[in-house]
Amino acid sequence: MRFNDAVVGTAFLLIAGAMIAMTFTFPPFPGQKYGPSLFPRIIGGGIIVFSVLLMLREWRAGGRPLLVLEGWVRSPRRLASFALMLAAMVFYLLASEPLGFMPTAFLIQLGLFLWFGVRPIMAMVVAVVMTIAVQYFFGSLMRVPLPRGILDSVL
Amino acid sequence: MTAISTAFGLVFDPTVLAVIMGSAIFGMFVGAMPGLTATMATALLVPVTFFMAPVPALGAIVTATAMAIFAGDIPAAMLRMPGTPASAAYADESYEMTKKGQLDLCMGVNLVFSVLGGIFGVIILIVLAPVLAEVAINFSSFEYFWLACLGLTCAVFIGTGDPLKGLLSLFIGLAIGCIGIDPAAGQPRFTFGNVDLLSGINFIPTLIGMFAVSELLRGAVTMERGGHVVAQAVGNLMTGVGAVFKKYWFNFLRGSTIGTVIGALPGAGADIAAWVSYAVSKKTSKEPEKFGTGHIEGIVDSTSANNSALGAAWIPALVFGIPGDSITAIVIGVLYMKGMNPGPSVFLQTPELIYAVFIIFILANLLMFPLGWVAIKSAKQILRVPRNILLPIILIFCIVGSYAMTNSLYGVVLMVAMGVFGWLLEEHGVPVAPLILGLVLGEMLEQNFMSSMIKADGSLIGFLSRPIAGVLGVATLGLWAFMIWKALPFGAARAAVDAKA
Repeated sequence: MRFNDAVVGTAFLLIAGAMIAMTFTFPPFPGQKYGPSLFPRIIGGGIIVFSVLLMLREWRAGGRPLLVLEGWVRSPRRLASFALMLAAMVFYLLASEPLGFMPTAFLIQLGLFLWFGVRPIMAMVVAVVMTIAVQYFFGSLMRVPLPRGILDSVL
Repeated sequence: MTAISTAFGLVFDPTVLAVIMGSAIFGMFVGAMPGLTATMATALLVPVTFFMAPVPALGAIVTATAMAIFAGDIPAAMLRMPGTPASAAYADESYEMTKKGQLDLCMGVNLVFSVLGGIFGVIILIVLAPVLAEVAINFSSFEYFWLACLGLTCAVFIGTGDPLKGLLSLFIGLAIGCIGIDPAAGQPRFTFGNVDLLSGINFIPTLIGMFAVSELLRGAVTMERGGHVVAQAVGNLMTGVGAVFKKYWFNFLRGSTIGTVIGALPGAGADIAAWVSYAVSKKTSKEPEKFGTGHIEGIVDSTSANNSALGAAWIPALVFGIPGDSITAIVIGVLYMKGMNPGPSVFLQTPELIYAVFIIFILANLLMFPLGWVAIKSAKQILRVPRNILLPIILIFCIVGSYAMTNSLYGVVLMVAMGVFGWLLEEHGVPVAPLILGLVLGEMLEQNFMSSMIKADGSLIGFLSRPIAGVLGVATLGLWAFMIWKALPFGAARAAVDAKA
């Protein structure tokens, strides 16, 4: 998935414009001429200059389509793989607090293993072993407060 | 003298040695897996090092990266797939040697010259860093401002032939760095009233997102390939290596020197060092026609170069706090986290930490020999680990590592957002390494810029009035002028016309 540079330039132009607009709400640094808005404005100005240069260059070269899709976007299976990788992360965000780290991590690994064609028994074993290993290493050794969720009473 | 003995005490501690050993094995594995880079190894290690004292934390990163850069040579020779980008320059050459049945010699040469090149780079680091620190101790905010500008400008060239997109990436990083409380006045900026954003964009989840999650997203769509089957058997690695050294010792010295210089330059790292030294080797060779057909000469140059670049990249990082490559950009972030702000004062206040880093570097390079030998011998087994098992496990590591940085889901949210953003940027040919540097150095740049502005009362001449600041400033401005000329549409068009003529 690749937009041409004119589109990329436009996107960053708008973001930088919004960024500079926001700096006008910053209060000045009392007693100084240069306040917290100066540096972001310089950076925003830089982004605008580079975006415009990017757009100019694209227009000069001319003729590139707005959006080019690579082969994998047209293959439903690969597109699903991509979406699933993202969905796994979103699933963690939603499920880790109510379910707890261990069930969530186990389900994510099992789901991805099976989708990517790991044999079921292998997938089960690796998912269980890795979940326990990560919980032990980060949860017990490194003392990261991984959410316990439904296993609260067991752990 | 006491600092050195303290440093030995710090390093030769059972826990530290265990950490070094563990990260060495980790680095070997990640480096040997095609598609997993040395930078990714570092990104995955950082959350773990967060919980360690400074010496084991730095030891883990130094060791893992040194191993990964060497281990990248293994699949390059066996499968024609460089394990890390630093081995890409001579992957074809190595594979041609394998096809000719010279895998043993190729691997032996890679191992020996990686170790020697690594040690070469470390020696330069040990000699040069304290000397430069003496000079740097007199620097004021003006010098640091220009130094940061120069370092960031060089960073634009990391991983891209398109300076305009590198600049864009750098400025996006600096803009992201503005989120949170501003360093001069304490004013919250771009936080949208969000409490998590007040603390700024945490560097580690960003790093994991940009370097690891984006890699997973790319990996998910190219998943067909399972494990790799290596047909070649490995025999005695050391046969013939001595003869190669006798014949090509000059190539080793030249490759290491080029690697050290390129590594020490802010912005260019091991992969560029390997490309350049390979090209130099071919250009000056007596038998350039043999290059590309499985000739050992270019491999000697470039395998020495990429390992020597690794140590040299720490020179600007330790002395000025300016990263030499994307790995030291991460290291600088780690140093800030540990409360030891890189810069010349570290050499005065905690010299034992600096010496400890030096000792670990030497140790890591010595350890590379036996471990590398084992890795080559067991390459068949390592390369057989299928990617469809590896990627989901890496995803879990990414999630837990990001979570551990904030002890909340904020870290994971940041990781996912930055992962998708980084993936989009790379899809459009915008490199992410300058962005990471911008994020790491943004605050330091703004602080020095603001205090210089206030000291000079807004006069830009004040920025150039001190002698070293003047030289650095003129160099930076000159570089900028050159880049603007190159980036301007008519400048580029004219260059293209010149090239055709």
